[in-house]
Amino acid sequence: MNLKNIRNIAILVFFSLLLNIPMGQAQEKFFRAIGTPHEPEVAVSWNRYYTYEGVVDIMQKIAKAHPDLAKLESIGKSFQGKDIYLLTVSDFKSGDPSKKPAMYIDGNIHSNEIQGTEFSLYTAWYLTEMFDDLDFIRELLKDKTFYINPTINPDARNDYMNNPNTPHSPRSGMIVLDNDGDGKTGEDGFNDLNEDNHITMMIRKSPTGRYIKDQMDDRKLIRVAAEEKGEYEMLGYEGIDTDGDGEVNEDGIGYYDPNRDWGWKWQPDYVQRGAYKYPFSLPENRAVMEFVMNHPNIAGAQSYHNYGGMILRGPGAEEDKDTYNRDDVEIYDAIAKKGEEMIPGYRYLVVYKDLYSVFGGELDWFYGSRGVYTYSNELMVSYLYFHQNEGRGNQEEEMKVDRYLTFGDAFVDWREYDHPQYEKIEIGGFKKNFGRAHPGFLLEQDAHRNMAFTIYHAYHTPKISISDVKEENLGGGLKQITATIYNERLMPTHSSQDLKYKIERPDYVTISGANVVTGMVVNDVDFNKVEEQKVNPEKMLVKNIPGMNSVKVRWIVSGGGNYQIKVDSAKGGVAQWKK
Amino acid sequence: MNQNLIGLFAVAFFGIFSATAQQDYPTNREVAQRLQQMASSGNAKLISLTKTEGGQDIWALQIGKGDLENKPAIAVTGGVEGYHVLSVELALQVASRLLKDHAQLLETTTFYVFPNMSPDAYSQYFSDIKYERRGNSVKIDHDRDGRLSEDGYEDLNKDGFITKFRVESALGEYVPHEKDPRVLVKAENGSKSEPRYIMFSEGIDNDKDENYNEDPEEGVAFNKSLTYKFPAFEPYAGDFPVSQKESRALLDYLFERWNIFAFVTFSPANNLSAPLKFNKSDAEKRIVSSMLEKDVELNKMVSEIYNEIIPHKAYNQENQGTDGDYFQWAYFHFGRLSFSTPGWWVPEVKAEIKDSTETKKVKITPETNFLAWADKEELKNVFIPWQEVNHPDFPNHKVEVGGIKPFAMVTPPFSMVDSIAENHTNFIVKLAEIQPKLEFHNFKAEKLSGGLTRITVDLFNNSPLPTHSELGERSRWLQKLQITVNKDKKDILAGNTIKLVNKLGAYEKEPLSWIVKGVGTVDIKVGAPHTGYATMNVKL
Repeated sequence: MNLKNIRNIAILVFFSLLLNIPMGQAQEKFFRAIGTPHEPEVAVSWNRYYTYEGVVDIMQKIAKAHPDLAKLESIGKSFQGKDIYLLTVSDFKSGDPSKKPAMYIDGNIHSNEIQGTEFSLYTAWYLTEMFDDLDFIRELLKDKTFYINPTINPDARNDYMNNPNTPHSPRSGMIVLDNDGDGKTGEDGFNDLNEDNHITMMIRKSPTGRYIKDQMDDRKLIRVAAEEKGEYEMLGYEGIDTDGDGEVNEDGIGYYDPNRDWGWKWQPDYVQRGAYKYPFSLPENRAVMEFVMNHPNIAGAQSYHNYGGMILRGPGAEEDKDTYNRDDVEIYDAIAKKGEEMIPGYRYLVVYKDLYSVFGGELDWFYGSRGVYTYSNELMVSYLYFHQNEGRGNQEEEMKVDRYLTFGDAFVDWREYDHPQYEKIEIGGFKKNFGRAHPGFLLEQDAHRNMAFTIYHAYHTPKISISDVKEENLGGGLKQITATIYNERLMPTHSSQDLKYKIERPDYVTISGANVVTGMVVNDVDFNKVEEQKVNPEKMLVKNIPGMNSVKVRWIVSGGGNYQIKVDSAKGGVAQWKK
Repeated sequence: MNQNLIGLFAVAFFGIFSATAQQDYPTNREVAQRLQQMASSGNAKLISLTKTEGGQDIWALQIGKGDLENKPAIAVTGGVEGYHVLSVELALQVASRLLKDHAQLLETTTFYVFPNMSPDAYSQYFSDIKYERRGNSVKIDHDRDGRLSEDGYEDLNKDGFITKFRVESALGEYVPHEKDPRVLVKAENGSKSEPRYIMFSEGIDNDKDENYNEDPEEGVAFNKSLTYKFPAFEPYAGDFPVSQKESRALLDYLFERWNIFAFVTFSPANNLSAPLKFNKSDAEKRIVSSMLEKDVELNKMVSEIYNEIIPHKAYNQENQGTDGDYFQWAYFHFGRLSFSTPGWWVPEVKAEIKDSTETKKVKITPETNFLAWADKEELKNVFIPWQEVNHPDFPNHKVEVGGIKPFAMVTPPFSMVDSIAENHTNFIVKLAEIQPKLEFHNFKAEKLSGGLTRITVDLFNNSPLPTHSELGERSRWLQKLQITVNKDKKDILAGNTIKLVNKLGAYEKEPLSWIVKGVGTVDIKVGAPHTGYATMNVKL
């Protein structure tokens, strides 16, 4: 128990005496639920969302409450100058976190896709709070490091929450560009006409309209049959023609897409809509890139998005399909198929085949350029409402959710409004925080399940040990030492993309305390097929240590008694053996 | 007083003559001095975009009069490759000739001159050990083996030049050229000629990996590190596109210059002697990798202008772009017209036919052609004769160092540069003269009853160039033509206060009309930064 806890308890005892409440009773107010930290040091409600300030507050509390498990740092600044905070979570008392195989997690690259932030935060919270309770988590944090970066788009996260928006805006950050090519930037964005902080829809009564209001539920607009007369026409999202060019809402925040800004097979805007100037021309992504380049121990990565209930892997574009070769796809498949079991309603998919084309996406950069096994989970899916697959934006189902589960909280009822261009209209529709974002009561469960998947992913980053060392006397004062280096997890120390392009240095297997005559990698121990390393055999360069497999390294040494063997792998960590 | 000081005084007192007094290509310091002189002349402003890892400035010289950023502009770039020292001098001379001889042109065209994008690599030309260097001063692991710069160049014969070394060996692939035995060529299949050689870049295999100079002390090459066809994982490319300070600084600057309509780049690539070729299937792919058809036509027209002005016949000018380069970036990823030329190349030397009975044709290589040309021009010191040395990696072999001097094949004697620069300035002036030009024609203001006026006018692009190339039309980094009328929306009964037009072709017109209510005057303004603006005032 640390000093602070003692002090807290002392204060509690003092107050309980003051209020004349017996100490024992306070503890009996709770009964432990399996799977959740019981009476955590940092109390967080996981059924609501947090602004940037709220996120930073939780991160600071976690780092403060668990100084041996979590460290807070700013990895750079956003466009508007906010710090991008990252938590390093590992058992700092056992080993250097920057030498352990690491899992990188971020969220919110698209500013309206908010819950990746809470899911990331939940992971940091869960790992630190459960460390004392569970052997599994203790061992995990002894072996691994988690780099948790809850929002890599803090400016526009706050804009989404604090300012009027649709569920889909803003997707970009807060740099304002000229979207309509008229030389002016951001001159005609949304207008929150009814001042409710949501951008909903505008409709108008019109003799040529093709919609009517549903008689059973007048919030719902339905399209009439081809030969029938309608009553309403749709006018799009709330807004006015601010710049007088005859268009409404044609040039607001952005537009660019931070997930088209990464340096693998990057393409310009006319090929890949949303690309900015060149890879990492957005400061937020640049900060992440620099962090990743400086942490070669990152072996797995997750970038949370919404929507759709998907575990996505690359490639983002058909043109890049050869990058994902069979050996690596086998590992992607093994991990993600387990994920499908862990997160009901989520499916394992490939971006270019099952979704749409993306050039310059984050997950492709992590894998293509750095050789890191990376998924993007598309959080939230309609399956979570009634355990049926009704698809995205199903009005029927969403109305049902709002009637029976959220009791009208999700919808802005139609109200009349005098519009400067359209005159008498009605404004209403679903709120920005419905549809893509989980309703509060579904948030914690899905956070836990997705975290469990990233823990599984992290668990299968390489784990290296020197499992066996054999000595054989060759006569003439020579000895042959054969060391078996075992990797007891799914991922190799070098993905096959990494091997193909020599992205990361080889693994070093070093012997010290012996007089080395020569060294070799043993490819086939039974038939003595070996590859000699003529230069500097004390430090053998091993290209890769495959997953669930081993590598044998052999030296011929003269003399020597006590020697040591050390494995040093950028993504596989460090292992030692002593005679 | 040492020579440097004398030099400084000469610049200070006789600055204006220094360009003509120059005897060799300028050092980075001399480049800066000449730019500062130009900037002090009016009509030019010098800024440093950034400093490289090697501590050198990346200069931008803005040349023009008045509102620079709302006139069509040409970007002139040199030093795209660090070993291409001519290109820096050409960019400097173009700038100074524009200022000196073409003041009138600056009323209508702006020029942005970036004389040297590779100053770190460029400095190798002036160093004690000269070699054709591409990379900047950033530390890069070119062979991706986890060790930095562990196998660079060694000057084995201590002559200050990195050339080649050859090892006499029956296993060798190289044999002396039949006509000029100084040059080694690959032996043809079945040829038994002796002696045979193995040939390497001059150096030692420091890391014992049987490769020579594969990881030298230099970093990323500007012209191999941009986004178009970025050669990932290749030496000199860097870890991702646009990774270097100088490339980011230049691109950031360019992305804010909406007025640039064309690039002229002095680099090894050449699409001016002959235009880029059109490949239908590459042009139709999602990732466009052929210049589009209409733009090839523009390229062809501009090539014709170039070939009229430049007297040298193209020879060995097959390089029409390399992966990650700058001139292709300017077209494919920045949507601007983009032209590149090395400025100079070794001309073809026709062999004199002495003996008509000579039946066997000897293949001319760029090296033998260069040496023949050098002989003809009586250039001394372009070849280092093969000279025996002891090589630690080949203890019991005959090893010789020699070959054509670095830079010689891409760098003309300095005395030739003035005329090259004059011709290329003339070409750039000609390109500026055909820039898109918006004009109003057939103006009419008809009075209708009830105080209404109908305004009709034809907007005309009086240029053989369109306002937007076919690719430029797709790019978000070129603005559309904006047609604005400064009248209240309620007073315009037909027509808009602002209207956007995607493009006007060469000599194309677009009829415009409005019906306006009331009296007074109306200002009509049409254009975009890269086309300039046409304005007119109409009395109602």
